[in-house]
Amino acid sequence: MKDLINKFFGRPQSSKEDAKQRLKFLLIHDQVDLTPGQLEAMKSEILDVISKYVEVEEGESNLKLERLEDCVALTSSIPVRRVVQRAASAG
Amino acid sequence: MSECIVVTSGKGGVGKTTTTANLGVALALLGKKVAVVDADIGLRNLDVILGLENRIVYDLVHVIEGHCRLKQALIRDKRAAGLFLLPAAQTRDKTAVTPEQMRELVQQLKEDFDVVLMDCPAGIEQGFKNAVAGADRAVIVTTPEVSAIRDADRIIGMVEAAELPEPELIINRFRASMVEAGDMMNKEDILEIPAIPLLGMVPDHQDIIVSANRGVPVSFDEESLVGEAFRRIARRVTGETDVPELDLSPDSGWWKTFKRWMGFAPQQGVAG
Ligand SMILES: Nc1ncnc2c1ncn2[C@@H]1O[C@H](COP(=O)(O)OP(=O)(O)O)[C@@H](O)[C@H]1O
Ligand SMILES: [Mg+2]
Repeated sequence: MKDLINKFFGRPQSSKEDAKQRLKFLLIHDQVDLTPGQLEAMKSEILDVISKYVEVEEGESNLKLERLEDCVALTSSIPVRRVVQRAASAG
Repeated sequence: MSECIVVTSGKGGVGKTTTTANLGVALALLGKKVAVVDADIGLRNLDVILGLENRIVYDLVHVIEGHCRLKQALIRDKRAAGLFLLPAAQTRDKTAVTPEQMRELVQQLKEDFDVVLMDCPAGIEQGFKNAVAGADRAVIVTTPEVSAIRDADRIIGMVEAAELPEPELIINRFRASMVEAGDMMNKEDILEIPAIPLLGMVPDHQDIIVSANRGVPVSFDEESLVGEAFRRIARRVTGETDVPELDLSPDSGWWKTFKRWMGFAPQQGVAG
């Protein structure tokens, strides 16, 4: 409730919420032994490769670890703007 | 001239990591170039207290094993100019490094930094030996409890055996109201036992928990009494000799708050 009120008034979220989010994030990264920094590095390498074929919205792309029922998954969402010249002419 | 200071205690959970993070921040705010090093290999913690956990790519063991350069592993804290973190490895253990390697690492860090602050793991075994290996001096953290002071006393001997100069003491989690009620040892009681110079006392305070939740060390908070305690200790660490003692007398509740609110009393952070 307090969090809702804070949200309504545009106040920063409670420190407890910060703690919970950071903890979840840490545990999932510990589980696969991949730091957030390494994931970030991986994302930029993957985006480099994808950009060879299609133009991507870098700012809106994400790659993250998610806990599924019995495993951790690497999920990503990479918005594509349009096919770049080379791939288009090939078709 | 740069130096490496190891923050140690013997007993776990007395506030070494909290102290390292906050002294690191406070020293950087004083204009020093500071590297804080997490020597607690396998139980990485300092990154979380500093709120830098999202930025780790390489760690101390990667550097020592030559998988990356030292500069690649150092994380710059954007909130305080001159502050850098060298994180511990999370999935290795103390045997991954030797005292000799730590000494070399510290030597390398001292070329670029004014102060290297080493967060020591609990215990007196290899983790301790690694953390102390490259140190020029030691700061011992204790709480006003029998078990913590006993361990601090033991550590003094080990610091001296490592041929470091006489260590200095920080008394953490001090509760003035309990001292007043006769339920906690006071400064004089404590200093009778580990007869070493006192760097300062840090109150037991909920600000520490909130700051750990957020990953923002309390030394950044101008209004916080605990923050002020760490900032004053940092000044003493740099050799300032006339830093006034912080007034930790029990908060007289609403009346003090009321006066502060009315502007009759200084902000909590600068009291004393
Ligand atoms: N001055 C203080 N006031 C309140 N809690 C504190 C204080 N110092 C440390 N703590 C708490 O004590 C616990 C242990 O602190 P930590 O710095 O991790 O100790 P260590 O590194 O010696 O094991 C943490 O939960 C921390 O939040
Ligand atoms: Mg610790």
